[in-house]
Amino acid sequence: MNGAAELERAYRRWLRCYPKTFRREHEAEILDVLLAGARPGQRRPELTERLDLVASALRMHLRPRVPRSDRAVFRAVGLLYLGAVVQLATATTVVATLGDVKSNVVTRYPGLTEVEWQAVVAGQLVPKALAAGIAVGFWLWTAWALGHGRRWARIAFAIFFGLTTVDLLEGLARGSAVYARADLALGTGLWLIELAVVCLIVGGRRPKVAAR
Amino acid sequence: MTKRAMQEATFLVLTALAAGSQHGYGILSDVVRISDGRVRLRPGTLYSALDRLRLDGLVSVDREEVVEGRLRRYYRLTPEGGRQLAAEAARLRSNAATAFARLGLAEGTTG
Repeated sequence: MNGAAELERAYRRWLRCYPKTFRREHEAEILDVLLAGARPGQRRPELTERLDLVASALRMHLRPRVPRSDRAVFRAVGLLYLGAVVQLATATTVVATLGDVKSNVVTRYPGLTEVEWQAVVAGQLVPKALAAGIAVGFWLWTAWALGHGRRWARIAFAIFFGLTTVDLLEGLARGSAVYARADLALGTGLWLIELAVVCLIVGGRRPKVAAR
Repeated sequence: MTKRAMQEATFLVLTALAAGSQHGYGILSDVVRISDGRVRLRPGTLYSALDRLRLDGLVSVDREEVVEGRLRRYYRLTPEGGRQLAAEAARLRSNAATAFARLGLAEGTTG
């Protein structure tokens, strides 16, 4: 294989990072520009070219397909990504603050045995951490769906907000949400982000998604 | 609400298209010329910016050509793109004029 063909094949491989719809429309012209800008004799994409392609592809995957003028959806998508980060921090905190939770539980129930504590961990805290992990996926998926004009993403998120509100209130009523202060702070922060997203997507106009 | 300043890459891409339609490689070369070699956009960054500008209605596809078996797509500024570029240029000129005045320099000199 000659150098030019090898380089073209390598560029095509890196262009696979882009969303399919974008590739269908723009792969040929980006490839043309990449080849036109290549050094004579270049056989492989340079590191800076690879980084640029990957970073741009990531932006294309993450950013909303609505005009910037649709501020409500734009902000909601930004908040949803923020929510995913905070949710991940929450899941990590649940695991990292197990010691605090245990000492609070032991203070409240002095006769708690190790077996009973393990049952609390397996029955309540492990499902909570797993649910938080799944929720991270949900935040990201909703951000993508909302940014791509999927109407049901609004309904799905409103239901999610309702469920987490009930869960938070239930936890506060039972006192379990205040076993570790870090958990409570993150949980409240997350709920406020959810509230802001709901306000934006309920009050905002329907997104005008680019036809592509 | 205060309008956000335009990113430099966006400003340069719109400026490159202000005089007429251009294809991707033409825009990249023109951006280097406009910025006196200071800004060299990479193809990934350029197409990401063009995609955003098309979504925002500031740029549109003018025409397509096939040159030596390869697709060449030309982009042009929309009327809204022209308006936003003019507004940004006016903002930059006003800021620059203020800076020169406070430095006690004539506009366009660097001391």
